[in-house]
Amino acid sequence: MNEKPKAAIYWLAACGGCDETIVDLNEALLSVADAVDIVLWPVAMDFKYSSIRSMKDKEIALSIIHGSVRNSEHEEMARLLREKSQTVLAFGSCACFGGTPGLANFRSRKDIFQWVYRDAPTVVNPKGVYPMTETKVLDHTLKLPELFEKVYPLDRIIDVDYYLPGCPPPPDLVANAVSAVLEGKLPPRGSTLAPHRPLCDTCPRNESKPPKIEIPEVRRVHMVEADEGKCFLAQGLLCLGPATRSGCGETCIRVNTPCRGCFGPVEGVDDGGAKFVSCLAALLSAEDEAEATRVTDGIADLPGTCYRFTAASISLKGKS
Amino acid sequence: MSVKATGPLPFSPKLVCFTCRFGWGYLNGSKAIESLHNVIPVTCSGKVDASHIMEAFKSGADGVLILGCPDGECHFQNGNYQARKRVLLMRKVIEAFGIEHDRLAIELDMDPEGSKIEPLIEGMRERISRLGPLSPKGVTANQACTGKENLR
Repeated sequence: MNEKPKAAIYWLAACGGCDETIVDLNEALLSVADAVDIVLWPVAMDFKYSSIRSMKDKEIALSIIHGSVRNSEHEEMARLLREKSQTVLAFGSCACFGGTPGLANFRSRKDIFQWVYRDAPTVVNPKGVYPMTETKVLDHTLKLPELFEKVYPLDRIIDVDYYLPGCPPPPDLVANAVSAVLEGKLPPRGSTLAPHRPLCDTCPRNESKPPKIEIPEVRRVHMVEADEGKCFLAQGLLCLGPATRSGCGETCIRVNTPCRGCFGPVEGVDDGGAKFVSCLAALLSAEDEAEATRVTDGIADLPGTCYRFTAASISLKGKS
Repeated sequence: MSVKATGPLPFSPKLVCFTCRFGWGYLNGSKAIESLHNVIPVTCSGKVDASHIMEAFKSGADGVLILGCPDGECHFQNGNYQARKRVLLMRKVIEAFGIEHDRLAIELDMDPEGSKIEPLIEGMRERISRLGPLSPKGVTANQACTGKENLR
């Protein structure tokens, strides 16, 4: 009897939305389940890590890993699955670029601990109890994974063969990716399994874009009722479409919400956030210094907006 | 302004300087500028993309200085204004990544001889040297995971 190829689906620092999008394959998921032998999928099925550890190297045909690497357990599982897998797919924005958890890289680990366990107004912790990596209870030592100083995209920890971005990736791209792996029709290693063009190219509002966009003042979505047919940038609302890869199906745009950039930078660009800054600078209609300062100072959380999904993919020195 | 006059710098900062060819040092030919360390002449300061600024910091620069043409005198209409807006925005971005905004500066002026370039660079190096070096944050998870830090 021919053995079916083995597949693993695993989450690191993830919200579960990527698992949800796999479930959203609906009936197609049944044919995937027929074609492969799922050996690990914590959110849906009960398997033990020990069974993965006992496998031969490269025994798993495909590991779909979502979530960023945030703690020592994530690192350990990422390395284990890399060792046991022929192909690793970084699935979703967190695995590809760090995702929204990567915004934590704007703070130090110490800042985060102090806020979460001491300073936040909702915290009552008079004894100053902090999570520890080791605690002795009676005769036993209990262990917890160690939170890293930073959030890492998957490829900073292990070699990644393919990338599928999105928060979460849409079911059509997931189905394409899975069938490409099963049929062995994959592009060169390192490829992103999504279109190369920027979102503006496929945006249903592209036609409404004026020849020259001029933003006298940046507005936020809760401050205005956005015109449903008009380019967001032309309305002064920050939309990351010009610097973001297409393929999402424009789902945010269709519910009158500007692009937040979950598909990451377009093909050939490493730092999509910086590219958006350059684009935005050109759209701001401020020539003299005072006006330019006023307009740029009026933008709320520019770094968080430009790097909402990609902050962890930027390696910079800095003050801690 | 001279570095020697203020004594030795606490550390020797690496500065990347982009200069507009139309406003800075064109009378002396490009060789005089290119002999300066890490000075990159560009066609227009508006050519300096935000990703070039990030790339300089990623490559180990302690500071970035952009020299463009004065108000209203850009050869390409408004490239200097574009550069200024980019710098104002990028100063906010680098701050979030833990890099003080004063490590990125722009000067809009005219200097055909190019004699001001070196003093401007030295002045900025001196300001940066007071800020101290940028320290590498964890590059790999193993390095970041020290377990020794007091988190309280």
